[in-house]
Amino acid sequence: MASSSSTSGSASGSAVTERRGIPGAQFVEDVQTYLTQSGLDVGSALAFLQERLQQYKVVEMKLLAQQRDLQAKIPDIEKCLDVVATLQAKKGTGEELIADFEVSEGIYSRARIEETNSVCLWLGANVMLEYTLEEATGLLQKNLDNARASLEVLIADLQFLRDQVTITQVTIARVYNWDVHQRRIQQAVATTAQE
Amino acid sequence: GSDTEVTWEDQQNINKFGRLNNRFHELEDEIKIAKETNDNLEDASNELILTDEEVVRFQIGEVFAHVSKDEVENRIEQMKEVTSQKLEKLEEEKESVLAQMSELKKILYAKFNDSINLEED
Repeated sequence: MASSSSTSGSASGSAVTERRGIPGAQFVEDVQTYLTQSGLDVGSALAFLQERLQQYKVVEMKLLAQQRDLQAKIPDIEKCLDVVATLQAKKGTGEELIADFEVSEGIYSRARIEETNSVCLWLGANVMLEYTLEEATGLLQKNLDNARASLEVLIADLQFLRDQVTITQVTIARVYNWDVHQRRIQQAVATTAQE
Repeated sequence: GSDTEVTWEDQQNINKFGRLNNRFHELEDEIKIAKETNDNLEDASNELILTDEEVVRFQIGEVFAHVSKDEVENRIEQMKEVTSQKLEKLEEEKESVLAQMSELKKILYAKFNDSINLEED
């Protein structure tokens, strides 16, 4: 389980300071203390928090794009494993595998794939290598496992990020409300003083 | 005004609600896709029964392999099994998520009343 927001129920409100380059949002116990300690006035504090929010959004876009890529990649690898498994199953039967394949968009032709011990795998960067069926299965499985593991980490990153966004949004609301509250008090004081 | 203080525990509850809400929407999408897949497999199954061809073009990878009708029937049954189980798991998770969200709503509304909005816009 990813170590995102601390699970400590203590009043100190500890939080993880960052996760893989994503800065953690500081939880504010008390708005007055926060403003005094940071030496910021309400306007500057709000501006700072808003900017943080924007930064988080940018990172979120990036992570979501990565997640989409991985989610597309995984079924592709599974399809490849399926093909290799089918070729493997045909071995020893003496049968050929007959398949209709797309030559060009909308145009299909028929192929006769004889029993074979190997397949070629596209490795990217204009490189294709020949592997035995076992080696191919091993490599593809490893890629699949890696992709799944990466996806899990990515999802945990996104959850952490969204928590920081929520914390920041709540802090913005609280600072703003505190300011409104302060102004009301000052108004009341000023009115009483006039009487 | 800012009469109610927000504690770290409150913040964690709010965070959790946010995460659950996100997961809820993801699950709705996933369930929709799983249902469609199920329907497609069901249609394929039915077509198989109607056809009198012995060899069927079954998609493996990016090609259509010539496969015996029996083998295709088996494969489709297997795929239906997998999708059904997946669908069941997704529905279960969705129920769980909704229940947790309901609990958190009770807690958060109790403390914050109108100061917080946990509904879908």
